[in-house]
Amino acid sequence: MYGETGELMRTQLAALLRQYRIAQRLGGPSRWAPDGLASPTEREELGQQIQQYRQTVITWCSRTLQTVQTITFSNVPSRRADPFRPDTEDGATAELVRALEHTRRHSSAPLATIGLLTTPSDNPVVELWRQAARAAALAEHDTSGELAHRLTTPQAQALAGDVAAIAQALVVLDQRYRSIPGWEHLADPGRLGWTALATGLDMSLDQPDYTVDQAGWRPRIKPIRGAPKPGILGVLQAEHNLLVRLKSIPTAMNLRLIVDSQRLLSSHLHPYAERVDPRLASQWQARATTYALVQQQLRNLGGRLGKGNIAAAEAANVLGRLKSVAPGTVIEPRVLDGFQTVFNRVDTRIADIIEEGVTHATLLQRVTLPRVVDTTQQLVHPLRERFIPVAHAADAAVVRTVRDQLRPSAGEVQRATPGRSRADLHAALVYRPTQGVAEREGPRL
Amino acid sequence: MELPHLRTLAQARSHLAPLADGAQSVEASSAYERALLDLDRIHGDESPALDADGLTEDRAALYAGALTAIEELTNYGIDALDVELVLAKLEDARALDRS
Repeated sequence: MYGETGELMRTQLAALLRQYRIAQRLGGPSRWAPDGLASPTEREELGQQIQQYRQTVITWCSRTLQTVQTITFSNVPSRRADPFRPDTEDGATAELVRALEHTRRHSSAPLATIGLLTTPSDNPVVELWRQAARAAALAEHDTSGELAHRLTTPQAQALAGDVAAIAQALVVLDQRYRSIPGWEHLADPGRLGWTALATGLDMSLDQPDYTVDQAGWRPRIKPIRGAPKPGILGVLQAEHNLLVRLKSIPTAMNLRLIVDSQRLLSSHLHPYAERVDPRLASQWQARATTYALVQQQLRNLGGRLGKGNIAAAEAANVLGRLKSVAPGTVIEPRVLDGFQTVFNRVDTRIADIIEEGVTHATLLQRVTLPRVVDTTQQLVHPLRERFIPVAHAADAAVVRTVRDQLRPSAGEVQRATPGRSRADLHAALVYRPTQGVAEREGPRL
Repeated sequence: MELPHLRTLAQARSHLAPLADGAQSVEASSAYERALLDLDRIHGDESPALDADGLTEDRAALYAGALTAIEELTNYGIDALDVELVLAKLEDARALDRS
């Protein structure tokens, strides 16, 4: 996911920005080693390696900005009143796209190969560059062309702001590496630096949406295997496994068993949470009430499609393990938070299952039996159908309940913050060591 | 299933549902619900809808009605052991509800 790869890239670049005396760090002559620890040829080779890593980062910057350019709108009011001419051709972002492309094309360094990206270097400077390039290569997976179809403008602005900060870091580092033998400077670094600065400022005028960190590839959630964890952790383990097993659609019967387990779990965990986090306790009490309502409304729904036997078994594990938790147990806040996170996901999944089930008629309405009325002379017709599709899915009581009460609201989802790595990279761009620090940071024998 | 069988099953379900909804504790409510789920499982989840019309609010009467309807299911070819297991669950739920 972009949150991880982007953070890795920024962290490595911030660490590089805090390093001065690069020639010495690559084995050049210093006060302690007048002849240097590495020959000029060796330093030149390390420099070329760094340029390959840098080219990988530039390529990611360029491609990502091109991807998001279509939905990144400048805050500068356009002079042209012609609405038929796309506005994205102008503005700092468009200029940065051109500057990055210019820089990429005019560099003689090729992209870092898989071998270079995956082989750790003994030199700490080169290793930081390798990590940054590796993150950039992985980030391509997260910020590929498909992303543009899903991103919102505030998310695209956050991404463009990140690219701008990284481009500025590359310009600063380019000047600092000039003493490396054979070092090739960025083409037109002034233009790149200023357009990156302008883009960063332009993007920060609006409120960027850092939920973009959630975009991209993420590993599949796997069940926690092995023996049950002791105490409350065993319950959390089973609840997590239930979430994983809910990937397959359960039958109506299994869904009712799972709903019952969630009602009991929330209700039983409520007193434990009340001692540590009363806010969470009240949420869980409300959750138990909601599941009780869902349970009532599901009684008149049936259907045989689906499976969910393993999910129902995990739901039984939840309740079985809950019995082994001693009444006076104090549950740590991070475990409670873990439960809340899994609850939000389970609730979302169950809401999806019910809504989709009713809409696509995998969950059907049970038929009410005809009444026997003695006063009429008519015969009671045998039932031809046991189930009928719900007439108006959106009006079904259970669908309204899951929409209004079960599905976690956007307010409950934690607001995305810029994170430490963004602030750290911005701080590192203007970092200058004091005399004492510079002395201490100097290479030692 | 013939109509009399369906009617008995609907009666059993319709008596169990208010018992679950009005139980004293979550555990008792869940226990009644499990008895109802067992009834549905025995019938391959082909049960008819609940019919609350004309039902009393007296829990003793509801319990007696559920008990009678479940016992009657043996007359329609339902395995006696399955019926006994549902009755045992119903008895457990009642015990939980009273405690």
